[in-house]
Amino acid sequence: MSKPGKYPVRIPRKTLNRCFFMLLVLILTLQFQEVLGVQRFPRPEFESGYVQPETLQPSARSGVLAIVDVLILIISLAVVSWLVIKRRSRLLVFWFSLFSLVYFGFYRQGCICSIGAIQNVTLGIFDSTYIVPITVIAFFILPLVFTLFFGRTFCAGVCPFGAMQDLVSFKPQKLGARMNAILGLIPYIYLGLAVLYAATRSDFIICRYDPFVGIFRFDASFGMFLFAGALLISGIFIARPYCRFICPYGVLLNWVSRFSWKHLTITPSNCIQCRLCEDSCPYDAIDMPVTVKNPETKSATTRKFILICLLVPFFTLLGGFTTSRIHETLAKVNRKVALTNMLLETSNNKDQPESIDVTTFKSSGKPISQVYSEASLVLKQFYTGSWILGCFLGLVIGITLAYRMVMIYRTDYIPNKGTCFSCTRCVDYCPVERNNEGLTK
Amino acid sequence: MNRRRFLTTGIRASILAGIGGAGAMVASKAGAEQLVWQLDPAKCLQCGRCATDCVLTPSAVKCVHVYAMCGYCDLCGGYFKPDTKTLTTAAENQLCPTSALKRKFVEDPFFEYTIDEPLCIGCGKCVKGCSSFGNGSLQLQVRHDRCVNCNQCSIARNCPADAFSRVPLSKPYLLKQVNEESQAAELTGKKGSSDE
Amino acid sequence: MMKTNDNRNVETHRGASLAQWIAVIAAIFAMVLSILIIVNYIQVKRADPLNSVALRAMIERLHSNPGDDALRQDIRTLDLLARKAYFTSQWQIRMGGYLLFFSVLVVVICLKSMELMQKTIPGMPAGGRPDPWHLRQTNRMWVAYTGIAIVIISMLVVFLTHQELGKTLDARLNEGNISNVSNAGNANNAGNEGNEGVEAMNGGGGGGANGADSAGINDKLVGGNTLSMDGYPTDGEIAGNFPSFRGPGGNGIAFQKNIPTSWDGKSGKNIRWKTEIPLPGFNSPIIWNGRVFLSGASETKREVYCIDINTGKILWSKAVEKITGSPTQVPKTIKETGYSASGMTTDGRRVYAIFANGDLIAFDFDGNKVWDKNLGTPLNHYGHSSSLVMFHDLLIVQYDQRGSGSVMALAGKTGEVVWQTSRSVKISWASPVIVNTGKRTELILAADPMVVSYNPANGKELWKMNCISGEVGPSVAYADGVVYAVNDFSKLSAIEIGDPPKLLWEDSDYLSDIPSPLATGKYLFLVTSFGAGVCYDAKTGTKYWEHEFETPVYASPVLAGGKIYMLDKKGLMHILQADKTYTVVSESPLGEGSSCTPAFSEGTIIIRGDKNLYCIGK
Repeated sequence: MSKPGKYPVRIPRKTLNRCFFMLLVLILTLQFQEVLGVQRFPRPEFESGYVQPETLQPSARSGVLAIVDVLILIISLAVVSWLVIKRRSRLLVFWFSLFSLVYFGFYRQGCICSIGAIQNVTLGIFDSTYIVPITVIAFFILPLVFTLFFGRTFCAGVCPFGAMQDLVSFKPQKLGARMNAILGLIPYIYLGLAVLYAATRSDFIICRYDPFVGIFRFDASFGMFLFAGALLISGIFIARPYCRFICPYGVLLNWVSRFSWKHLTITPSNCIQCRLCEDSCPYDAIDMPVTVKNPETKSATTRKFILICLLVPFFTLLGGFTTSRIHETLAKVNRKVALTNMLLETSNNKDQPESIDVTTFKSSGKPISQVYSEASLVLKQFYTGSWILGCFLGLVIGITLAYRMVMIYRTDYIPNKGTCFSCTRCVDYCPVERNNEGLTK
Repeated sequence: MNRRRFLTTGIRASILAGIGGAGAMVASKAGAEQLVWQLDPAKCLQCGRCATDCVLTPSAVKCVHVYAMCGYCDLCGGYFKPDTKTLTTAAENQLCPTSALKRKFVEDPFFEYTIDEPLCIGCGKCVKGCSSFGNGSLQLQVRHDRCVNCNQCSIARNCPADAFSRVPLSKPYLLKQVNEESQAAELTGKKGSSDE
Repeated sequence: MMKTNDNRNVETHRGASLAQWIAVIAAIFAMVLSILIIVNYIQVKRADPLNSVALRAMIERLHSNPGDDALRQDIRTLDLLARKAYFTSQWQIRMGGYLLFFSVLVVVICLKSMELMQKTIPGMPAGGRPDPWHLRQTNRMWVAYTGIAIVIISMLVVFLTHQELGKTLDARLNEGNISNVSNAGNANNAGNEGNEGVEAMNGGGGGGANGADSAGINDKLVGGNTLSMDGYPTDGEIAGNFPSFRGPGGNGIAFQKNIPTSWDGKSGKNIRWKTEIPLPGFNSPIIWNGRVFLSGASETKREVYCIDINTGKILWSKAVEKITGSPTQVPKTIKETGYSASGMTTDGRRVYAIFANGDLIAFDFDGNKVWDKNLGTPLNHYGHSSSLVMFHDLLIVQYDQRGSGSVMALAGKTGEVVWQTSRSVKISWASPVIVNTGKRTELILAADPMVVSYNPANGKELWKMNCISGEVGPSVAYADGVVYAVNDFSKLSAIEIGDPPKLLWEDSDYLSDIPSPLATGKYLFLVTSFGAGVCYDAKTGTKYWEHEFETPVYASPVLAGGKIYMLDKKGLMHILQADKTYTVVSESPLGEGSSCTPAFSEGTIIIRGDKNLYCIGK
């Protein structure tokens, strides 16, 4: 920045050396205190024609490329939706998902992704100083909009996580109603926690515990590699374990997809109940025909349904109450609360060695009461937040129970609009041709 | 069935409106500019976590030398271990664990210090030495040719000094610079007092 | 036909078995690799070659025995080995990772191609269809069980861990409130030693313990009056921000560091951003935690703005309207005052703004209105211009108007009036100043005919001195136990606080009617609105230097980083050394006229020009 010629005075060498000597003495006697932005040693004036090197500042990935990413996302969503709804080709969807895996995964290294964007949007809503980049909003919104129109085509061929797991699902097993019920609740919990932690400005847990991003980067912590390995190996037998039982964005897509305008159908025309597609779906996402009568009497079912509906507020409150009891445990993720905890521990237990956080805090000269008051404020946020989180979970469980009471009679095999990833595997199993004339010929 | 279809369409429209509304709400204060992570050397306490907590190995945080601030000292607090007796480049004298800080003679009594970035692990030992004994010309910075710009920087989360923040892409570095005027004034002041 | 089909079958079979073999070999290779990588990782983790204990011990030994050349050689060898070990293992893990990836890729490709080659024709699933009702019931039951399990786990967590952090913190905070002030004060002193401003704020040395006592007393007083408290910022937090007109307490001193000294609004040099403020106003910006607040008003509209200091984006802008009791007709003001001349203030929880028509409003940091009220249209022929200031959680409002002057404190959280003290003074335009004398905190106001000090906790008058007259515009300055009050066509007085207060010295050569004076422990700086500057000895009144700036000055000078920042009306910032000799550090043009006092944040200055808000910094 500064050029030697700019100095108004030229200091004689002798003075300079004297200054140097004095400063060295000062250092050796350690009488020095740190003052920021003050030059202790004047910049030398070189006589040998030495040219000062520039300080290199390599620039980051250009912002234009981020817009290119959004464009590619839009094109990919459109292409996959077309392949799923119009072309109905498993093979093409598969090849396109490989492209997405390479581009959004290995080339873009999984950041920013739609799953993580939940947290940016949440933080943007709760923290008015945080300005969400417009590209991140696009990554959050576009898949939802496409899902509302065409079902979860984002999962089918755009999301690199799904593509990666789809690659390894060689021997998918049916999980059964029990496992699906238990594991199916995890995404709701994960989504709730992610929103809670993002809203309290504590952490982005979705990104922190992102198993696949380490593979895309060829670099991650040891633990995350283990997690990724475990997921992929279990993925051989349980198809798409992350998508079905972890992915918090999947929850949103599931809700939206239930009301999708044009969803993938197994058969292009009329279902002939041939049962061929029954085992085709590795995700248990095909709704079978319901023709048998409910073994229970209608009045008993109605009574049960009404009971559960009446219990939903109770579940909600119970969930809120329970979760609010552990808000302090939940809050420990927050840095301020963690620091406060450490400070209290060190003040209670003097023998313990101090952690870096405590030492650096002490050297910062901030008053301890400030940290305490900040932490107690965060705790209050967590109290409210955990009530809301618990209510949400209680509500989800209540509604799930009520929803499982009712069943619509149908004769056809149809994909479950909520859980179907639109992967089009089932399409290949259907013997019905595109138009019925084909059959007769 | 018709009623059912009507209901679905209604819900679909309201979801679309909801997504659009939420998007517009966030977008109303969205910035077109991308944000990248950077650490403020003025806040940095050189705790050493930049070396260990980055998702990359070695870390994307590296030591950067602002040559314009450097005093080119012979006894460099960033290069030598605190109680070094002989000022040579011998291994036992060097503070840098990977020998990434290079020392080169320029002219009497000045030495130039450069950083071999591929070797630097971002531990900040030299930065600590330089800021406590020298001009603070060695500073830790996120190198954007390495940084993958995680959504949530894992160092930022653990930084005890809260030195990390998201900065606009167009100004991705937060290096401390010499304050030209104040330095000039300081020098004139010094001259004035020595004349007295 | 049959034959070719058979041939194809045979070929497919051959291809499939080849793929199978490759897959098996690659899988075994991958397994071995992953074991190797894990072992390597554990080894390096355990040895930690860059922080080798042995090496450190050897260097210690060398220090006690500097002549040992053999040891020296050993150290060098070991150091090289350690570094080699570190980089080699890094390389091994990386290369191993790539190899593992590619071997897994081979496995996947082989298995996928096998899958494609051996396409099986879908068959009928064995067995009958499971009963959907039964499945639903199982599913339902297990959802319920999982819900119960979650509740049980949460309860277990409650029983197994101590959920008492909140209570502990509240207890600590309650006992801590008493020692708060001294802690914060000491921390400040440690951080800014040699900075005269801090001494001025804390009333010199030895103020710590006394300050703590008085703060304790004040706490009780305030606690008795306000029913609902949600805390207030510590002195440390206040010093780290710029919460009111002329900084913390309105003392004219900013504690921020790395303040830029050179910029140019025209060329954009060191201008971080520039944002146009929709409505005009002469109030000076305030800063809290990276947010800049200011207000603007026209005859018909009143607005409060919150701006992000990093980007200059207006985070929110709120109209101040529909306030009960707000007059339908706006009082007449002159052009130089406008409708929004009073500076805002904040306690870190809410921001407060007041307008020429007496509208007073509190917003939280997200721009939600917390409370509002109208204090009654002030009878003021120029327009109300006194800025707001905070004391703990009390909002202090000077409301000197024709006929009935008063000063009041409102609870920041609710807007209730906690105390109100009437004043027998003429109208004044000066702002209240909060000072800490080391013994107690005082609220000081200047108006014709006197300078009065109040206890900010209850509004009781502490002392007063008849020494000022006319239409008082400048606020007082304070440093090291001495209050400086000045007004045009009156005089400049230096009053030493005490019982009774003592007039130290006075002068009438330089009299300001708009900019407030600026006091450090040693000097008093004063600039008149015509642009004549002077530096006095703070204790004796001896003039050290005088300087004609030749441009009118409306903004009050502020001390930051040992330098005086004085902005003239044309927007040229004069940066002077706070010294007995007149030394110009630099002069930097804003490129736009300004009448507002700048605000300071770490490494940046915020200046409100006539139209735009500027952020200056690197």
